[in-house]
Amino acid sequence: MVGDEYVSMIPAATSEVWSAEVNGQVREVLAPSNAILLDVLRDKTGCLGVKRGCDMGTCGCCTVMIDGQPRLSCLTMAQDANGSSITTVEGLADGAHLAPIQQCFAEHGGSQCGFCTPGFLVASQALLNTNSNPSDAEIACAIEGNLCRCTGYQQIIESIQAAAAIHRGEAESAQAASDAHPDPHPSGPEEPTMPPGHARGNHVWRLQTAAWKRFGRSPKRR
Amino acid sequence: MSGGYKQQPGSGSGEVRKDGKRVAGKQSFGPPGSGGSRPEMKPRDLDFIPEMVGGNEKQPAGAHIHDRARTGTTVGKAIPLVDANAKVTGQAWYGDDVRLPNEIIGRIVRSPHHYAKVVSIDTSKAEALPGVIAVATGEDAPNKFGVLPVTKDEHAMAVEKVRHVGDLVACVAAVDEATAREAASLIEVEYEVLDSIHDMKKGLEDVDEPIHWRGKYHVGTTNVQKRVFQEFGDRSMVENPNAMYHGKWKYMGVNHGFTEPHAVVAHWDSNGRLQLYTPQQVPHYAHRALATVLDVPMHQINVIRTFVGGGFGGKSDPFPHEMCAAILSRKAGKPVRITFDREEVFWVNRGRHPSHIEVQMYADEEARISGFDIDALIDGGGFASFGHVTSYYNGVLATAPYELGSFHYTGARVWTNKPASGAMRGHGAVNTRCAVEVGLDDMSEQLGVDPIDLRLANLLPPHSRTISGFRITSNGMRQALQEVRKGSDWDNKFRKLPLGKGIGIGCGFFISGSGLPIHWDPNKFPHATVHIQIDMDGGVTVHTGAADIGQGSTTAVAQVVAEVLALPIEMIHVRSHESDTSPVDLGSYSSRVTFMNANAAIRAALEIKEKLLNAAWDTLGYHPDTLVLNDRRIYYKHDPAIGMSYLEALHKAQEDKGALISSGAYRSPPMGGVHKGAAAGLAPAYSFSAYVAEVEVDVETGMIKCTDVWAAHDCGKALNPLAVEGQIIGSCHMGLGQVLTEQMVYGRTGHLQNANLLDYKIPSVHEMPNVTPIIIESCDPEGPFGAKEAGEGPLLPILPAVVNAVYDAIGIRINDLPLTPDKVWAAIAKRMKVEGIDDPSELPVPRLDFSELQEKLAKRAAEHEIRDKKRQRSEDTNAYVNGVLFGFNPDIPLEDQVEGWKSADKPQPEQLAELGLAGKAWLKQEQRHMGGEN
Ligand code: FES
Ligand code: FES
Repeated sequence: MVGDEYVSMIPAATSEVWSAEVNGQVREVLAPSNAILLDVLRDKTGCLGVKRGCDMGTCGCCTVMIDGQPRLSCLTMAQDANGSSITTVEGLADGAHLAPIQQCFAEHGGSQCGFCTPGFLVASQALLNTNSNPSDAEIACAIEGNLCRCTGYQQIIESIQAAAAIHRGEAESAQAASDAHPDPHPSGPEEPTMPPGHARGNHVWRLQTAAWKRFGRSPKRR
Repeated sequence: MSGGYKQQPGSGSGEVRKDGKRVAGKQSFGPPGSGGSRPEMKPRDLDFIPEMVGGNEKQPAGAHIHDRARTGTTVGKAIPLVDANAKVTGQAWYGDDVRLPNEIIGRIVRSPHHYAKVVSIDTSKAEALPGVIAVATGEDAPNKFGVLPVTKDEHAMAVEKVRHVGDLVACVAAVDEATAREAASLIEVEYEVLDSIHDMKKGLEDVDEPIHWRGKYHVGTTNVQKRVFQEFGDRSMVENPNAMYHGKWKYMGVNHGFTEPHAVVAHWDSNGRLQLYTPQQVPHYAHRALATVLDVPMHQINVIRTFVGGGFGGKSDPFPHEMCAAILSRKAGKPVRITFDREEVFWVNRGRHPSHIEVQMYADEEARISGFDIDALIDGGGFASFGHVTSYYNGVLATAPYELGSFHYTGARVWTNKPASGAMRGHGAVNTRCAVEVGLDDMSEQLGVDPIDLRLANLLPPHSRTISGFRITSNGMRQALQEVRKGSDWDNKFRKLPLGKGIGIGCGFFISGSGLPIHWDPNKFPHATVHIQIDMDGGVTVHTGAADIGQGSTTAVAQVVAEVLALPIEMIHVRSHESDTSPVDLGSYSSRVTFMNANAAIRAALEIKEKLLNAAWDTLGYHPDTLVLNDRRIYYKHDPAIGMSYLEALHKAQEDKGALISSGAYRSPPMGGVHKGAAAGLAPAYSFSAYVAEVEVDVETGMIKCTDVWAAHDCGKALNPLAVEGQIIGSCHMGLGQVLTEQMVYGRTGHLQNANLLDYKIPSVHEMPNVTPIIIESCDPEGPFGAKEAGEGPLLPILPAVVNAVYDAIGIRINDLPLTPDKVWAAIAKRMKVEGIDDPSELPVPRLDFSELQEKLAKRAAEHEIRDKKRQRSEDTNAYVNGVLFGFNPDIPLEDQVEGWKSADKPQPEQLAELGLAGKAWLKQEQRHMGGEN
């Protein structure tokens, strides 16, 4: 490991003032000039909700919004984000009120171990900000840079669709959204006669939804 | 974003004042009972109360012992995880999120060699570096540890040898990460490089310097860590088979790929007690190992489980870096935090074993399965980890769900100079299961029958015993097969799809909790204990050691307590993070948590309920049997107006003693045989699953896309359907990775080439098929409210289902996972050569003509269905052991009625010549080893 050509890592680069609007607050901190945004956010601004899964742009756990765009903070130099406005998972909620996307992730099983969740939330919120009526394919493209090892993505997509319904004003709350859950891109008749498995991944649940409409109760959400 | 959506509990109401400010709100539920602002009570939710106790919930499997504890509050309802809000707001604290005052950063120095003696370590340069606070090497912690008491073979840091690239040599702690990294690079280690082995087959050979000396006994001087031999049944049955499958399978190693890299924070507090924060699935093992390594009594250590960013088995070993952090922190007198790079995650690994598995399967003239011969050689890497158990699981978990004429298994786990393999979701069962299920597909083709019917006509019924003596209770296998057959429109697709499209079936069988706690006698100490405490405010604090790793065990425990006490789940607070406050628990592995901890929790809650009802009895004058608990009220069954609130009853019950406290425990019933290894695979219940997968294969490129999966899993009873579906879909994702893309690639020199998430290919959202989760509820008689596991079993069937579907699509069986395009294309090209065709689109596709056996099988399956229903409802309580299908009497020991029926755990001398690859381990003599370790 040790060789003559070894380049010392210390003393580290000089510190510089880094300032940005983090979750609505202007923050000014001293950070090394070569610091990575992820480190600054976690270590200097206290945004521990931004997760480090790989450090090399492969997992998406560190996704934050920079001026409204989803970005991997582990691949962003802090200085490049200087002066920008940054939203992390901590900035999604309105005070104590969860954002629809957060509520829907909780209610639809979009989060199991939860480590990937901050990245998914930020990436999908960025999508919903520009497109409140995304198709499943559009959602897939928006979250393709995010890895989730627990959920198999299906319930994540359901969560985002449910949140989109709230953004469109079609559902009042996550609770209501999950019951009504209109499909913006129907690919088959929503009748219980539909052969299972052909509309989309979540059709079982859709079938049940159709059933409860008839029988007047939801089999899942009470 | 308008208001109206739900809020974090305890915060604003969602109403907005004229000036735009939010109005402070109430809890989403009123204060308990009649005294509060909402005296009215919700009606009982009859749809979630079993019909046996007057509700509307159907019970096809009959009554359950916990029926009377049901109140219709939470069980069976899809509710969010109780910690979901912490996760979606970024407040969940994982390993690296623990920040203590004055913390310093630790780094680990790792071996660059596969196998070497550590001659000397010079730490002086590192120590001289400004900012370095502590340095430690193997000398600081010479005690050995290991996850299993029988195979303790790890040190905190190398004591004598390093055993794989990335093995720990030393560690440093410094004021910041840059300094720590610099210091780590300044530690000079002199190695004497030894001959390393990377091919697991070489592990069977005698060498001068085995990677470990296996304690007192050693198999020759080989690298065999564990060898297993198991034989049951009548071997003569496999002679003259009607159909036979022989497959040699190769599986690559697979990593868990959890998103959170390992991290640990150690801190010796002012009283000299160690506080260790770690994302652990099994904090108790870490606790034990830390005590051993640090030479500190266990009560002087508090292991604090942080949130766990995915476990899947990969965070269940006690890890050397946890020891390192504790040692550094003790030296430095400050908290030390160590966080891994993704590369280091691959160096500790503990993923699925790379394996060579050979199976031979036989069917007789009536299409009964007359025998399984399995030979599994598995590559354990540098350490034992859970490998002792894995060596058994590779065989014994194939003894069900089918009735077998005979079973023969030889297994061996060898050490190689790779990162250690260990437990991973579907521990040990996955690879063999894939081979066996593909074998059944192949045999059904030879027999001219439908593979689903072949399975349906050979299933063990509920309440039966497998050939190896496992006690099967509830069994939803048949229903699972029927559901996926219906759901996937199987009969119109199988062997009827055009070239490039295929459909396949696979089944699974897995333990729901391991019957034997590793560290103690299950007859003397329970598997799981849960404490409940209720103080004056009425909030229920539940103490459990169940480690929530994202699967929702905390939610499951909270749910069952809420159910029994008929309280809103928000009033249940589960404390499971600290070993100081949690009763001893084995943590999250072997899919045990729901089964064992929820059972213990029910017991504890029932005790509380009894106290509450007795208090109500005193006040109301009605016997507890006539009282009903519902929504924070206790009332007389026939007149709800006569009653009292939960809080009143609670305060009455607390009159003399203050807080109500109860404790519940779960212990599995005595079960299993007496042969060596009889405890491996023994479980109080088993889960069953059946998947159908549909794939598209591009014959020009060999690219496989799985498009649809119908996934039926028998979880006994879905306590929380949302979580069960999440587990099923997630398992599909992980299994799909193993069968299509994921592999740990070791290069020619044995170096791990893809220790990052770019080259290690975990399926992304684009590779995910549509998964249709189908929950089968067989209602286990001993499960909590009938529940069994749902976390690991659902992974097993996806592999064979995909492999079988690929055969259906292109007519080629490939026995080498993962099925990457290059392998598939090579197989297609080979087939084209054999067939003499130039255009892959002319490949012949398999078609099926039913033989006369098909009708026989369908008839037998129909008869068995009636038999199973009767047994499930306990209308038929006769004994059923494996072998009845072959005409044996279940009431007489099989040894007495069948000549040649045996059960052996050691090969006979005359058998030695015909043993398979792993069986070769039995050719060597065990010898007492005098020198070396132990
Ligand atoms: S940490 Fe940035 S993508 Fe993984
Ligand atoms: S919820 Fe665990 S990785 Fe996504």
